[in-house]
Amino acid sequence: MAEKVVVEFDQHSKEYQARGMEIGAEIRSKCPVAWSENYGGYWIITGLEEASAIYKRPELFSALNLTWQDPDSMYKGIQIPNNAAYGENSFLEMDPPEQLQYRRALNSHLSPASVVRWEPFAREFTNACIDEIIENGEGDFVEDVVNIVPAVLTMAMIGFPMADWVIFCEPTHANVYTPANSPDRERVNQISMEMGMRTMTLIAEARATPRPGMLKDLIDAEIAGAPLSDARIAGQLGLVMGGGFDTTTALTSNVFRYLFENPSDKKRLLAMDEALWATATEEFLRFFSPSQGDARTAIEDCEVLGYQFKKGERVLPSFSISNRDPKFFENPDDLDIERFPNRHAAFGLGNHRCIGSNLARMNFRTMLQETLKRIPEYEIDLAGVERYETIGIINGNKTMPFTFPKGPKTGPGLQATIEKWQKILDDEAASAS
Amino acid sequence: MRVHVQEDVCQGHTLCHMAAPEVFALREEDGHAYVTVTEFTPELIEAAKRAAATCPEQAIVIED
Repeated sequence: MAEKVVVEFDQHSKEYQARGMEIGAEIRSKCPVAWSENYGGYWIITGLEEASAIYKRPELFSALNLTWQDPDSMYKGIQIPNNAAYGENSFLEMDPPEQLQYRRALNSHLSPASVVRWEPFAREFTNACIDEIIENGEGDFVEDVVNIVPAVLTMAMIGFPMADWVIFCEPTHANVYTPANSPDRERVNQISMEMGMRTMTLIAEARATPRPGMLKDLIDAEIAGAPLSDARIAGQLGLVMGGGFDTTTALTSNVFRYLFENPSDKKRLLAMDEALWATATEEFLRFFSPSQGDARTAIEDCEVLGYQFKKGERVLPSFSISNRDPKFFENPDDLDIERFPNRHAAFGLGNHRCIGSNLARMNFRTMLQETLKRIPEYEIDLAGVERYETIGIINGNKTMPFTFPKGPKTGPGLQATIEKWQKILDDEAASAS
Repeated sequence: MRVHVQEDVCQGHTLCHMAAPEVFALREEDGHAYVTVTEFTPELIEAAKRAAATCPEQAIVIED
């Protein structure tokens, strides 16, 4: 039996923020299944084959989080250290068969066919956000554009009032970028609670006055033969917002910066060739891996690919580091917008493959294309870019100040566009009922 | 030549449909893939192989 290889690894550290993929490669060359003593101890998995083996075995490695019910439960969910911020566990922190029933309730909203219908919305809102800053010649790509569009879109798809995006946006981002031991954590927990209360109010309103959207399907769902409680529904909405807002924002901001620093790739993408955008999108996903990896708990003593796991041990198969595995990706640290094949794990692997992946691709492509069409030449103030304090959960940016040639508005701006689309959706809802 | 998508392995990444839409279609309800071709020309075999190589779950089986 092989010796446990112990390594220095902390996905929330400044070192990881600065050179996480390098650190990952060093660990992988020692052993793709290695042990870190941080946060009570966990396996850090850095090889794609090994990560895949864990994710494909939900019967051995559980995503379940029961700490909201019992703080001492061995089932600590997908974050290390454990975070019970969303209240009752979402289906990302459940196992089959229950997990699959939740997915089925929401699949129709996030299928490739459904997602295509939201593209005009995403294009119009991206332009509306740009209209708010275009005459100034300056703005913040995160705060003014890519924080807003995914948030408004997710609100609309849930069936929440779109204007409420301002209530949900900051807590949702702050929850993933604030380290567990940060002095800011208390404030973040506070605003998350306020967001939670607003969610409960909106759920109650939706029970009284149903509107089309994911919330309606959660209210109407029967899982394990029973309808879902308000608290349980709130947990699922927390996931939809976390997944819907934060990840696409992170990817798009990282790519916007990449294109500024790599003008030849920007020039190639400006031609708006669909085939190039398709391979480029997958490569940006692989290279930036907005979602860094989701933890599991070993359900029992077991062996996988010759590695021994003990019951209760925490395991973190890294999406981002596995996405640089030279066994599967030639010159893995080179970003090649024509890379093919590209069997990356940016949307996860196995039964928890990101349910929003089709939406993410559409939203990313749409926001970036519309921005580049309006603002093909821009400068990012690199000294002003603030990455997330921890990129251990989401590899994102808090701010991205940029300047560009002033230009004309093309529409009535963000508030008017929200009002316009709220009316469209409300009218659709009224005629459907 | 037989090409099929292992239903219990496919998770709906959709990369096969992106690579070879002429061979792989996506289910309406969940975006999982299935093969639409019964007669494989050499070009279609190549397309199927490209798609199989890019599947993150390695769900596509190609056999003579």
